[in-house]
Amino acid sequence: MTDRAERILDVDAVRDHALPNGLRIRLLRDTSTPTVSYYTFFSVGSRNERVGLTGISHLFEHMMFNGAARYGPKEFDRVLESRGGHSNAYTSNDVTAYYEDFAADALPTVVDLESDRMRSLRIDEATLEQEREVVKEERLLRTENSVFGLMEEQLESLVFQSHPYRWPVIGWMEDIQRIGRSDCEAFFRTYYAPSNAAVYAVGDLDLDATIRLLERHYGDIPAGPAPVPVPQGEPQQRGERRAVIRFPAQAPALLAGWRGPPARHPDAAALDVLQVCLAVGESSRLRRKMVLEAEVAVSVSVSWGWRIDPGVFLAFVELPPGASPDRAEKILWAEIEKVAERGVSAAEVNRARALLRSGVLHELATHHGVAHALGQAEALLGDWREAGRALELYAAIQQADVRRAAREYLSEEQRSVVMLEPQRHAAGKAEAR
Amino acid sequence: MSLAVTLPPIHRERLSNGIELVVAERPGVPLAAARLVLRGGASLDPERRQGLAHLVALATRRGTRRRTGAQIDLAVESLGAELGSGVDEDATYYGISAPVEGLGTCLDILADVAARPTFPSAEVAKLRRREVAALAHDADEPSLLADRAMLQAAYEGHPYGHASEGRARHLSRATRGEVVSLHGAGHVPAAAILVVVGRVRTSDVLEQVRRRFAGWKGAGAVPPTPPPPAAPPSRIVVVDKSDVTQTQVRIASAGFPRRSPDYHAGAVASALLGGGFASRLMDAIRVNRGLSYSVRSRFLPSGEGGLFAISTFTKVETTAEIVKVALDETARFADGGPTQEELDRTASYLCGLFPLTLETHDQLAERLADLALYGLGEEEVTRFVERIRAVGAEEARAAARRYFPVDRRLVVAVGPAGKVAKALEPFGPVTVLPVGKVM
Repeated sequence: MTDRAERILDVDAVRDHALPNGLRIRLLRDTSTPTVSYYTFFSVGSRNERVGLTGISHLFEHMMFNGAARYGPKEFDRVLESRGGHSNAYTSNDVTAYYEDFAADALPTVVDLESDRMRSLRIDEATLEQEREVVKEERLLRTENSVFGLMEEQLESLVFQSHPYRWPVIGWMEDIQRIGRSDCEAFFRTYYAPSNAAVYAVGDLDLDATIRLLERHYGDIPAGPAPVPVPQGEPQQRGERRAVIRFPAQAPALLAGWRGPPARHPDAAALDVLQVCLAVGESSRLRRKMVLEAEVAVSVSVSWGWRIDPGVFLAFVELPPGASPDRAEKILWAEIEKVAERGVSAAEVNRARALLRSGVLHELATHHGVAHALGQAEALLGDWREAGRALELYAAIQQADVRRAAREYLSEEQRSVVMLEPQRHAAGKAEAR
Repeated sequence: MSLAVTLPPIHRERLSNGIELVVAERPGVPLAAARLVLRGGASLDPERRQGLAHLVALATRRGTRRRTGAQIDLAVESLGAELGSGVDEDATYYGISAPVEGLGTCLDILADVAARPTFPSAEVAKLRRREVAALAHDADEPSLLADRAMLQAAYEGHPYGHASEGRARHLSRATRGEVVSLHGAGHVPAAAILVVVGRVRTSDVLEQVRRRFAGWKGAGAVPPTPPPPAAPPSRIVVVDKSDVTQTQVRIASAGFPRRSPDYHAGAVASALLGGGFASRLMDAIRVNRGLSYSVRSRFLPSGEGGLFAISTFTKVETTAEIVKVALDETARFADGGPTQEELDRTASYLCGLFPLTLETHDQLAERLADLALYGLGEEEVTRFVERIRAVGAEEARAAARRYFPVDRRLVVAVGPAGKVAKALEPFGPVTVLPVGKVM
């Protein structure tokens, strides 16, 4: 399994380089399709924010598409699209990542566009106001009018009492409203400096020529100040935390979360295996017990996302309309306890490894997936080479590791629970004026 | 910029029982994708049983003559594979993506599920309960409600006029007998297309497929296709969801079927209006006015007809404004057509994106299955760039004039009717529906 994995992503073929201003460059040549995927990772996400300015990382991501010194407003997408490329970006708790996928001959244009905005982004009041409105609409969409969005926001603020993971990546509405131009300028100087960034290009490219191209375009951008360290204080949880959301929904739901280890911890991979044993696929434990057998749930999913600091292991259960959540909860806790006490079978671990392996293969099947995997590995684990070791990591996880991880992280004392209680509207109530 | 889009060598044959087989051998990750398509889909749902085809697609894997549902789940997942099934208006789909070494077993299970399901009563009853309950959760998703309401209003009374997931009150009355009967009518080899793509040897795949699928007998003919649908009515429908603070908006008009000669001109016109970040609608709605996070337009072509649809959302207070801006921009485009710069950029954008939609084995399998389903040739892929590049400004404008919602349009809004219906009155007579009427 390990050998095969290494042939799929040949980390020895990755060229790594750093410019004097600190910009890290990682390139991989793969000519299987005549395209290139170009990722820029900035080491900044909502974990680098503070109360009062929550959501600035995400709002800033929007600002990055609004023009710089050489390519003015609206030009970024127009120029890129006219060269057959497309781009997008995302902000997470830990990173902000931008990508372009394009035909290989557009590489100089893409480097020109990306270096232009890193060097000289325009931050003006009018653009900020416009993006603020767009982000408010995004928040209305993803959080305030979304059952899961509401529950997730509530849960994270229960699981984390002090750490910046406590607030949502998109930020609190009031903070989105408050962020000013000077906040954005200070943010840009620190977090969007080349010293805080890395470029990953994968595809049909010439390694030496690309290094020279990047040196020419990025070499004169000054390094920035070191970002301030992220506060890590978090009180030890000594008992279940619980919140209720009353919302006019059609059916109840339950979201539970536990604070897990940081991505660099060996248990992070054990929790991946546990996640698959619990809720990936029809034959997973929770899916079988709760959905197929006892019918206490319409759906159940578990999500464990690696983060730089200790992240959250989530279980989300959608219940049938009118159902009492008590039985679903009882089965959920019992199943988790069972794993913590008796562990999982060798067959379950093998099944999980096989599914995780397929997931890695799917991810590494495209230039885009490889470029992202390299960036993600470096951002979370400190080394892009880790992207080539995923299968090795999973192969090393044993039954005992899964059981220990369940016991260590998923205890009753350490869980947080958000219940969605559907609330029916009285007729005409919302129309009162 | 030019990108030659090529396909790997493709083997096609019709098995003696009627299955249309397509195999593509290509390098890449050691995975294989198999896709089994059965012509028919949700358009075969009987009257008052919307969602039945969807239920059949889920129920087939809950037990066969040789395996229980649990055995199927475990066998597939232990290989690191995933078996999915689903339905759209034109077909039922089974998809499996597996490491190459597990392909034989996966094909065996696929054949078993399609041809020999036993539909255990208890399993069918459970599935029915679960799907009805899942629809309640769907009713909490404003964007799903808007899509459902658009289909229902646009194709009123036509077999395309409902979401494949169906309706709660129909599904809750569906019997096992109805499931068996619809399966018998649609799951026949003559209606089947099987596509296998991956790092495989074609000869191995052929041997496996013949062995596993040859035993599938069934004299049934290909199910009939529905008649062409009428154009959507010109009206405004508000689905009353009183608790939301953001309105979901759809604006629809008559499009074309998948085989239409206007397909490429339509793709260019639609991308110019509302595809990508530099499109007219994105510029007017998001960039210039901050009215929404997202807006897009697209053609939704089906076998016998199609729609053109604009999708967006905005805070309740600006519902009328976003509809007005979208309609104005649409009319302006249909009137004046694109500039040469816009046309060139959009063609480059579509041609640049295209190869990325064929990168993985699953993507290629899906594409080849669609070509077979709609009777289209490989040149749909290999000559895509050429055909898009050949669309001129006048053709794009003609497509816009013919299909875009200018004179006739259906507007659907999901939001608090008390505010939204009044705001939309200037656009025409408004019909208000409770959520229950679209679920």
